[in-house]
Amino acid sequence: MSSPEAVDDARAFAELDALLSEGLGAFAEARDSAAVEAARVEFLGMKQGRIKHAQERLKTLEPSARRGYGQKFNSVKKSLEEACEEARNRIGRSKPDRAVRSVDLTLPGNRERRLGHTHPLTQTADELIDLFGRLGFEVARGPEVEDVRHNFEALNIPPAHPARDPRDNFYLSESSMLRSQTSTVQIRVMEKRKPPIRVVAIGRVYRPDVVDATHSFMFHQIEGLMVDKGVTMADLKTVLRLFAASYLGTDVQIRFRPSFFPFTEPSVEVDMLWHGGDRWVEMGGAGMVDPNVFEAVGYDPEVYTGFAFGLGVERLCMRRHAIDDIRLLYQNDVRFLEQF
Amino acid sequence: MIVSWNWLTDYLRLDMPVETLTERLALRGLNHEETREVGGDLAIDLEVTSNRPDCLSHIGVARETAVVFGKHAWFPEPDPQVVGEDVHELARVDVEDPDLCPRFTARLITGVKAGPSPWFLRKRLETLGLRSINNIADITNYVLFECGQPLHAYDYDKLFENRLIVRKARPGESLIAINNKKYDLTTDMLVIADAARPVGLAGVMGGLDTEISESTKNVLIESARFDPVSIRRTGRALGLSSDSSFRFERGLDPERTEWASRRCAQMIVELAGGTLHPGVVDIGAPAQPHPPVVLRYGRIEKILGIAVERDRARAILEALGLDVVAETSESVVVKPPSWRADLEREIDLIEEIARIHGYEQIPEDRSVPTALAPRGKRERVEDVVRSTLTALGYDEAVTFSLVSDELSFPIFPVESNDRPPLKVEHSTRKKETILRRDLVPSLLAARRHNEARGEPDARLFEIAQVYHPKAESPLPDEPTRLAIVGGGDFRALKGVVETLLERLHISDQLETELVINVDVFEPSTLARITLGGSTIGYMGSIHPIHRDALELRQACYAVELSFDVLIDKADLVPRHARISDFPAVSRDLSLVSPNTVAWKEFSSVVLEVMKNDPTFEGLTYLDSFSGGNVPAGFESVHFGLRFRGRDRTLTGEEVDRSVAAIVEACRQKLKATLRT
Repeated sequence: MSSPEAVDDARAFAELDALLSEGLGAFAEARDSAAVEAARVEFLGMKQGRIKHAQERLKTLEPSARRGYGQKFNSVKKSLEEACEEARNRIGRSKPDRAVRSVDLTLPGNRERRLGHTHPLTQTADELIDLFGRLGFEVARGPEVEDVRHNFEALNIPPAHPARDPRDNFYLSESSMLRSQTSTVQIRVMEKRKPPIRVVAIGRVYRPDVVDATHSFMFHQIEGLMVDKGVTMADLKTVLRLFAASYLGTDVQIRFRPSFFPFTEPSVEVDMLWHGGDRWVEMGGAGMVDPNVFEAVGYDPEVYTGFAFGLGVERLCMRRHAIDDIRLLYQNDVRFLEQF
Repeated sequence: MIVSWNWLTDYLRLDMPVETLTERLALRGLNHEETREVGGDLAIDLEVTSNRPDCLSHIGVARETAVVFGKHAWFPEPDPQVVGEDVHELARVDVEDPDLCPRFTARLITGVKAGPSPWFLRKRLETLGLRSINNIADITNYVLFECGQPLHAYDYDKLFENRLIVRKARPGESLIAINNKKYDLTTDMLVIADAARPVGLAGVMGGLDTEISESTKNVLIESARFDPVSIRRTGRALGLSSDSSFRFERGLDPERTEWASRRCAQMIVELAGGTLHPGVVDIGAPAQPHPPVVLRYGRIEKILGIAVERDRARAILEALGLDVVAETSESVVVKPPSWRADLEREIDLIEEIARIHGYEQIPEDRSVPTALAPRGKRERVEDVVRSTLTALGYDEAVTFSLVSDELSFPIFPVESNDRPPLKVEHSTRKKETILRRDLVPSLLAARRHNEARGEPDARLFEIAQVYHPKAESPLPDEPTRLAIVGGGDFRALKGVVETLLERLHISDQLETELVINVDVFEPSTLARITLGGSTIGYMGSIHPIHRDALELRQACYAVELSFDVLIDKADLVPRHARISDFPAVSRDLSLVSPNTVAWKEFSSVVLEVMKNDPTFEGLTYLDSFSGGNVPAGFESVHFGLRFRGRDRTLTGEEVDRSVAAIVEACRQKLKATLRT
């Protein structure tokens, strides 16, 4: 008579046989992926599958039987895995016939909600703020209604200067006006803080130009200011080149042409030529902060030097998006806005 | 400033292609607009900045060209022959207002033959785009464009008492100018008069009566300097501008006044005959020379970032006509030429050296020290608001800060609305003269624009400043506002506001309460929006009366919010709260209550009774229903409740007890009963 242990060992081997034959049968009969998956869970599942039980069975066997059981277990497991794989492949191949015919894949996607769009001027302004931020310029702000001191006097534009003509400015009274340039923010920043200073001001400015495709009585400027000991025109050229290169995403050369602004000296117009480009394109105006401006805000021009530059946001935006009429930017026609 | 290529060759050799000339000039300060060919000559249009009036003439451009190309330029020195009686015997000039006319000269030529100009003179003026008038007038123009000094020629015989008086206009005086238009003069305008009447607007335009004609025999030539501001004001006031006034406004070379008169006289005698009388009436002192300026060589590098050798720097200044008065190894003292009134300070000299030495010498590869530039809270809040509103389907608008009367109605009542809105004094826009106090009206106008073009429901928002006059200060308050407009309904727009607050992690209690004292919105839906008790804006549907006024056909909801409060309250770095691992249990309730009970009362009762129940997670309004088996005057309110254990799966019994407590509280406080 066999010992009870031996009887049990034999049963374990028989169970393995049953597992194999039932498993192969289940995979062979499976007709869809759900059935394959159900069979996989039943036979090969790592938590509750029958193969798991069969594995645990090993521990209950006599040591002498374990080696043989282990080998048989491995071969059963391998056979079942192959059967599972084969069933998957079989189902996978036959599937397209039915599935594709039931769904028209050429129908448009479902877009339940129309997304809105940020204004192209905002997109341009954000990008400028971002790029100058990487160069260490933080955003500064100032009021849009200014006194003549900040808009003119402190910027070295004396009372008799033609730029102060009432017809070229939006005066609200003798002493207040809508700012005609963001340079006013330079003054406000320097009045409050001591160098080193590295700021950009961005915002609305106002000049009573007659409105046409390239002129508006309200537009946006971005103005940069850097003041410290030892700041020179070479730093100005470097900062503008780095800015232009990152804005255009290509290597850029910068060119200065002499110009005139009351609040900078030397004053220049800035042109850029990008890699592969065939002509210089105007970027904006720039220069070294005029000593009179430093004196107006109580900085010693013998100690500090600095540069300022100003760019037109509309011009950059229009060039970038091939917009040919500035008026489109303020009409807020959704057919225009949704292009950006 | 248009210059003629041929004319420039009178003063220097141009042996370069015109493109080289204009490109080099552009890089040295005279920007090139365009070059056109005119009858065998080239008309070169150069942009002259307002600090360089010395370049508003051919001599000026030739002088600059000579410096840029390292050439020598020759300029004429007129020395006309004189015959007869001295001019002082024949003409008299009085300057009553020497402040506005620091110098006035006059020469007299008798026996001229006025007539057509010779070919070369006509050609040169034609290149500049000027029409030939007659030889005398053409010569005054020629000399103006040659040296920049405006001149005027009077028909001597038409001047009463043969005299000129430089004075302010008298009350009631007028002048018919050579453009055949009559101008009424005011007493702050400087005129040139004869013994009887004004015969010219000083520096701006001459008078018709005394202009040179075919019958003119004797010519009095005026060459003078006038106060730039006075010229500008007169020109602006009368809407008149001329090549002369343009130059007077920018300032003249004081040493050209007499030269130009002599040059003009010589050309008239040569080209129109006649004899020049000896002497020149010359009133006013010659201008003081410009004071010397010190340049410390070491400052050049401090500004430009590159050193320019001493000899090179000094040579540039000398080439530009500055005289070296004194020099040490560290600095040089120079005296600017008469035509460079703009060179007053050391920095002016450094700019000259930079521009002639060449900005291309300045490198563009310096290493800029790093600096911290954190994105400000305002920018970050703007980002969140923009991304949220665009995700909700709203397009961002940018509208004008100046609005018309039609768009100046109040939205967000503030104390400063008692004061009149700010207005601009002068505008090129007839209607848009008011600085707006609210944003919503501008967005309504943008909605109308879209409606008219076939887009009935433009959903728009804008973030911008508004302008609130202050009693005690000329500068207004400039709060930033966020306005949103769209169709839909009140709850849709309120949902937008709630979403915004959620995205900004503002946990203060949002309340919307009915107000009726604002006329723009329909009273039944006008709500004041408060956050933690303080007012942050208004919202509602636009009243049909206002819609009609704006020709808006579609119903429209709008909200105007204080953006400054959103910035202030936004929490951009929220703290983590632990989430439970256990499933939630949801229950829906329908309670029937008198229809006067607002949702806010339901939610307060529920929150109050559940405030100490840690398993209560929240309630959600689902919908309301009246009619059917709900009695008249009552309403069935349907809402969802959610419960969840922090440390275990809740049992049905636990949740039932909580729901029962809620039902009971609603019954007691709101007379609400479960809908059957």
